[in-house]
Amino acid sequence: MNRLLASLATAAVGIPMLAGVAQLPRVGAPGAPVHTHVAAQYLAGSPDATGAENVVTGVLLNYRAFDTFGEVMIIFAALAAVLAVLSPVAEAIGMPKDQPSGTEHARHRRAPPVSPIVAFVLRLTAPFIIAFAVWMMLKGHLTPGGGFQGGAMIGALLILLSIMLERDNLWPRVPERLVRGLQAAAPLAFGVVALVGVGLTGAVLALPASPAGHGLRELMMLTLEAGIGIGGAAIILGLFLAIRGD
Amino acid sequence: MSRIFDLVMLALLISVALAVVRCRDLVAAAILFSGYSLVLCLLWQYRGAPDVAMTEAAVGAGVTTVLVLLAVSRTSRRER
Repeated sequence: MNRLLASLATAAVGIPMLAGVAQLPRVGAPGAPVHTHVAAQYLAGSPDATGAENVVTGVLLNYRAFDTFGEVMIIFAALAAVLAVLSPVAEAIGMPKDQPSGTEHARHRRAPPVSPIVAFVLRLTAPFIIAFAVWMMLKGHLTPGGGFQGGAMIGALLILLSIMLERDNLWPRVPERLVRGLQAAAPLAFGVVALVGVGLTGAVLALPASPAGHGLRELMMLTLEAGIGIGGAAIILGLFLAIRGD
Repeated sequence: MSRIFDLVMLALLISVALAVVRCRDLVAAAILFSGYSLVLCLLWQYRGAPDVAMTEAAVGAGVTTVLVLLAVSRTSRRER
């Protein structure tokens, strides 16, 4: 009975959706609505209007900066939700949170040893990964990539490093206040750029026009990219540590 | 050539997705899901969206897998 109901529900949702997909215009068709509105203008004007050779970055950080701001807030809210849900639980079931010796004891008991091969490869590749991620973050307006991608890469590397370094008690004790600040880096960067934009051009998140404000415009984009990247990395690590129960 | 690549990749994508759903071992399912992201990443790159491909590789194949594995490690490994 349940299976029948599930099949019916799936068909009821799936058939209209497939019918809708079948009516979509072909990928790349010149008459499709996505290509007839602002797309041509963006493609032609992006390098001049936004200072970003990479049109994707131009759209993300300039034409659609409000949308990007919303995305950044969603990621931030996800971390806030995880922390809000998991932290009281960790305290309520009596995890030894404020006793350093107890915490380390529990961690050593729980964690299996890291394979020497993994540790060696991580040591070898970590500097290259960091360099590539930072390059991607700061060059996002010229080449594919940007703050999100670079930040996710750094976040993943930080997770690996935290697993390995904690084993040898090398993981630095970062002050809580600094951690929270880094996790809020992206909204903060957007706030700074928005205020500067209001001050210079009178519009929120607007960048100054090309010839006069060229350097400043580049600086504002770099601020956004760096904020998104640092905030993203800190949030990814924060999610990992929160779910693991630190 | 492009059509063959598309078809092979999409077939791989669908079969990996089915394998994720059918797999009862949650750790294996997480690894398969990471493979799904990897195939999707190749498809994005091939379709000329390198920005999306990078995000897919870093977030989909990397971070999500770690978070899912972490969640599995705090519950039980087998689906009941």
